[in-house]
Amino acid sequence: MRIVCPFCGERELGEFTYLGDAKPVRPAANASEDEVFDYVYLRDNVAGETSEHWYHAGGCRAWLKITRNTLTHEISSVEPAAGVGAAKVGA
Amino acid sequence: MAEFSWLSRSPLEHALVVGAHGARDIEPGISLTEIRNFDLIQVMARRGKAAELANATKARFGMAAPDLPKAVSASDATLIWSGPDQFLVLSKGGKQTMDILSQAFSQSASLSDQSHARALISVSGTKARAMLAKLSSIDLHPMAFPIDAAAATSIDHTSVNLWRGNDRGDGQAVFNLLVFATFAESLWHTMLDAAAEYGVDIRLSEELG
Amino acid sequence: MVSHAQSHRLESGGLIDRSAPLNFRFDGKTFAGFQGDTLASALIANSVKLVGRSFKYHRPRGILTSGSEEPNALVELRTGARREPNTKATTTELYDGLEAASQNRWPSLRHDLMAVNQLFSPIFVAGFYYKTFMWPAKFWEAIYEPAIRRAAGLGRAAGVADPDHYDKAWAYCDVLIAGSGPAGLAAALAAGRSGARVILCEEDFALGGRLLADGGMIDGMPAAEWVSRTLAELATLPDVRIMTRTTLFGVYDGGTYGAFERVNDHLPSPPEHQVRQRLWRVVAKRCVVAAGAIERPIVFAGNDTPGVMMASAVRTYVARYAATPAKRIALFTNNEDGWRTVETALGAGLQIAAVVDARPDVSAAHRALAGKTGFPVLNGSVSGVDGGKDGVRKISVALAGGARAEVEADGLAVSGGWNPAVGLTSYHRGRPKWQDDISAFVPDSAPPGMVAAGAASGAFGLGACLRQGFAAGAAAAQSAGHNGNTGTPPVADDEAFSLTPLWQVAGKGKAFVDYQHDVTASDIELAQREGFESVEHLKRYTTLGMATDQGKTSNVAGLAIMAAVSGKSIPETGTTIYRPPYVPVAIGALAGHHRDENFHATRLTPSHHWAAEQGAVFVDTGLWKRAQWYPRAGEKDWLESVNREVKAVRGGVGFCDVSTLGKIDVHGPDAGAFLDRVYINTFANLAVGKARYGLMLREDGMVYDDGTTSRLAEDHYFLTTTTAKAGPVMQHLEFCRQVLFPELDVQLTSVSDQWAQFSVAGPKTRDLLREIVDPAEDLSNEGFPFMGAREVLLRGGIRARLFRISFSGEMAFEISVPARYGDALVRNLMLAGKQFGVTPYGTEALGVMRIEKGHVAGPELNGTTTAADLGLGKMMSTKKDFVGRVMAGREALVAPDRQVVVGVKPTDRARRLRSGAHIIPKGEIPGTANDQGYVTSVCFSPTLDQWIGLALVERGRERIGEIVHAHDPLRGEDYDVELCNPVFYDPDGGRQRG
Repeated sequence: MRIVCPFCGERELGEFTYLGDAKPVRPAANASEDEVFDYVYLRDNVAGETSEHWYHAGGCRAWLKITRNTLTHEISSVEPAAGVGAAKVGA
Repeated sequence: MAEFSWLSRSPLEHALVVGAHGARDIEPGISLTEIRNFDLIQVMARRGKAAELANATKARFGMAAPDLPKAVSASDATLIWSGPDQFLVLSKGGKQTMDILSQAFSQSASLSDQSHARALISVSGTKARAMLAKLSSIDLHPMAFPIDAAAATSIDHTSVNLWRGNDRGDGQAVFNLLVFATFAESLWHTMLDAAAEYGVDIRLSEELG
Repeated sequence: MVSHAQSHRLESGGLIDRSAPLNFRFDGKTFAGFQGDTLASALIANSVKLVGRSFKYHRPRGILTSGSEEPNALVELRTGARREPNTKATTTELYDGLEAASQNRWPSLRHDLMAVNQLFSPIFVAGFYYKTFMWPAKFWEAIYEPAIRRAAGLGRAAGVADPDHYDKAWAYCDVLIAGSGPAGLAAALAAGRSGARVILCEEDFALGGRLLADGGMIDGMPAAEWVSRTLAELATLPDVRIMTRTTLFGVYDGGTYGAFERVNDHLPSPPEHQVRQRLWRVVAKRCVVAAGAIERPIVFAGNDTPGVMMASAVRTYVARYAATPAKRIALFTNNEDGWRTVETALGAGLQIAAVVDARPDVSAAHRALAGKTGFPVLNGSVSGVDGGKDGVRKISVALAGGARAEVEADGLAVSGGWNPAVGLTSYHRGRPKWQDDISAFVPDSAPPGMVAAGAASGAFGLGACLRQGFAAGAAAAQSAGHNGNTGTPPVADDEAFSLTPLWQVAGKGKAFVDYQHDVTASDIELAQREGFESVEHLKRYTTLGMATDQGKTSNVAGLAIMAAVSGKSIPETGTTIYRPPYVPVAIGALAGHHRDENFHATRLTPSHHWAAEQGAVFVDTGLWKRAQWYPRAGEKDWLESVNREVKAVRGGVGFCDVSTLGKIDVHGPDAGAFLDRVYINTFANLAVGKARYGLMLREDGMVYDDGTTSRLAEDHYFLTTTTAKAGPVMQHLEFCRQVLFPELDVQLTSVSDQWAQFSVAGPKTRDLLREIVDPAEDLSNEGFPFMGAREVLLRGGIRARLFRISFSGEMAFEISVPARYGDALVRNLMLAGKQFGVTPYGTEALGVMRIEKGHVAGPELNGTTTAADLGLGKMMSTKKDFVGRVMAGREALVAPDRQVVVGVKPTDRARRLRSGAHIIPKGEIPGTANDQGYVTSVCFSPTLDQWIGLALVERGRERIGEIVHAHDPLRGEDYDVELCNPVFYDPDGGRQRG
């Protein structure tokens, strides 16, 4: 598999580390235990397009949000995580 | 009171033996040179400070830092893209030190000294691409990886910064590698193994290419 | 050396170099061949018909094919450490001195006692393992399996380490082409002319594919001339790379392909510095599969007799290698293509015994040829072969009218039609489709970017192969962005190809479908009767197609027979899933450089070579080599060395390289706020110049990592991690920074390799450091108190960092210098410390002292412990949110009966403790119901003069002083231990603060 890093270009799978589902959002500090429990443990088992966190560990060290089809492995989009490129915030 | 000496010792000091290595009956296809005596500073832009950092960089080096995977040369430094919002400043020892750059970028960037954290190896020769194809998954074809192209990538599952410098006098491409110091000896042996069949000429240099 | 005459070698012709004779040995006999031969062609030239024994029945077998589809002619190649079993004689290039041996026979190939297996063949039918060796169960491992393995082996592995080197490499191209037959070469021409980067892989050592044997006319010239002209043109194109001896074996996601190059398999051993084989990962925008087709056998009784050979293979041996498999040969065909063998054989002066054609409508031209030459053309099928290990003697023919005929011949060429090589196109679960006019499966779909051309797509005519290949090459180049002029396509005529499907002929005796796994037609019929009708069941039950040849010659025939007996059509019966690799790939090539000391990259600390000079014993810790202890002359074992090191530290001063700790610069205005969110305790309020111990949790509430973090400036913290978690913590912190808390202005950089860091510990630490540090620096308890952290100047002008932290429990500093000064620092510490008896210590002494101090480490930070379990619950801030806070508060994670860290010491002071022993209440019989925890870390404490340990024990902290039972079933040990305070040494910490 190859992933097109938005910064480095197309790279081989071995440079990337998979974390998991990018859909759950970390609840706010005042969230209930149930909400946090769901964030930590509750995952869909999707046959089709999923959104995933990947880390370009062997490259530019950017965390990426990748939309991938679990049936075909086709990657339809790769986006940097919110905190990447923060230098340009407000520009 | 004892007299101390503070000899700087390269992480390749033990492994590097200047001279010929590998196949001897052919003209060496690989030239491997370790470059010592350099300063290397990691510059990471602070939040919202891209424009300020760009101005400070221009003021210091007369040119902007690369915004994409490239390595660009100023008069006494090479600015190497190393990721979003960050670049490396490579210079001959003492030219662009942490102290100097801290002043230049104090408002716009966070700096970490990496001068001792990397070994710098330059690879060239007629078989350089063939040898690097065993180590690197990057496409180094002249069209895909022209002069000044850079990559933050991995060799042997270890992070490296790879960029193409100016061609040698004989037209051969030059590939520069910054490798982690603690991995350097191990990677050096791996490089020698990959290069041995082409014949290797091993050198040391105090000068950046 | 006496070589046997090459009795079956033609005087002239072929692509062998008669000026380069080679000697080789097969089963101890010496033979001669020529450069350009394969082992198979050289054996044929020497009239060797019997080359192996079959897998189950030990039937005599000869050479069936001339390519990588060969199921029979598998040999042990080379000797000693380079001996490689199951090597195909048909693809093994001959070299001078080659040694090969037949396999799966005893005591010799000609007199194989195991051939008695044939007498027991009724028990070796499909599924015999499942039926025969069911009972008694314990007999399986002890008797049945070893016996079967001996009887049904496939050659012997070398049994010693492979002396050769292998490597792996990456390659990139626009257009990747598999195969150098007419379609592949035409594709390379078109793609190369258009300006694309082209890689063409050919598994053979010669280029041309079937053209090498079958010739023909292309662009008005003989095929051989066209091939050499084409290769000359391709050589002028800058980005066309032709790789011979290279098989494209698999296709993976994203246009990545696996190729296997036999770089030096054609030599006795690789030249110095060269590899034997190389694994290529090729990244291609487009791929043209021009891998050709494989001729298929027809299933009839005795079809495995040596001398029965594929018709195309006969042509290859005669035309390419000038080696004649027979002097008087018969042909059995169901298609037009088979007749080419007659022409080739006659051209080489061989006698045609008869042509048995299953089709009723043999052309007038063929009949005329037969009449002129004087051989019979029989309309019917071969129903049996009379012969044995010395080859074919006579064949029986069932004539179409019902009568029988016999033909005397010493060889039989068989053509049942051709199967396109649909492997590569089907590796992404593609299912090939049935094409009626050629009675074969052809690709229906292909992985993204791939297209089949020529015979691989079912186009068998030479003209069609060239047209398709050229068009596919041009289209592939164009879709990869290359629009250069492709020039004129090569042109040739299309031969007729008419075929009447014929899979199986009734007859007496074993009729083989899968030669390599000895699967017969009746095995398939049996499988169907027993309900294993689905092709996937058929495959597993009979093992059809599961041998190393992956059923290249057998699968389709097997499916056809299953279709016939189950009353379905072949397309309804379907194919099994195709999976890579297309040919066996050596494990050595898959491992490449990564074996022995290169199994993984190694990290060395800055003091490594100094430590090696001292004779340190090193231990692998992850990728690191760390000094474990420093033996001295006269010390009888490691424990004596470690005890000395510990005592030296506790009584004087010692140092240890701790550069392996992960080190991270945390920069930015929000650095403190960031650390507050990743640590359970607070860092925003840490004063500049101070260090603090921090603990991180995972989001599920379990402890993730620990370490000290120092504040070096208002906007700069220096964070350390454990050695083991350096990489993962960096990744986790980047996740927190980039994904969880993007609003914070914080920057992270790994500086692990920038700093050489040493722990200097013991009551004389200050005395030693004062020798090293500039006299202007105040190292007194007031000037540099416990948990202080700041930059200092060393004598000689080197800048260093000092951290007053202690893992050993002694008065200690960690000193760090830029890594290239690490070696000098350690030498200077030795020099300056001589007067204080300074002692370097390794990871063992480090571990002893941390256990004596009750500090937790890897065995306690094991992913199942909470901060409270480790006795660090009070660190958990209640005033802020942090990763893991909410989940750490879950009922079960704060339950009062959790296993918590406690000290243990044996009641018998002389007793040795061992990690892993279970803690059971005293007086109870050990079992899972009363298992209350286990011992996590142990050491011999020279300070306390007894073995001590840490353990995780239920309610341990409430039970200090209780005697419990340590049960160690693994080592068969049972003894009592006392639960105690985990801080064995200096519990109030006076020494480290002094």
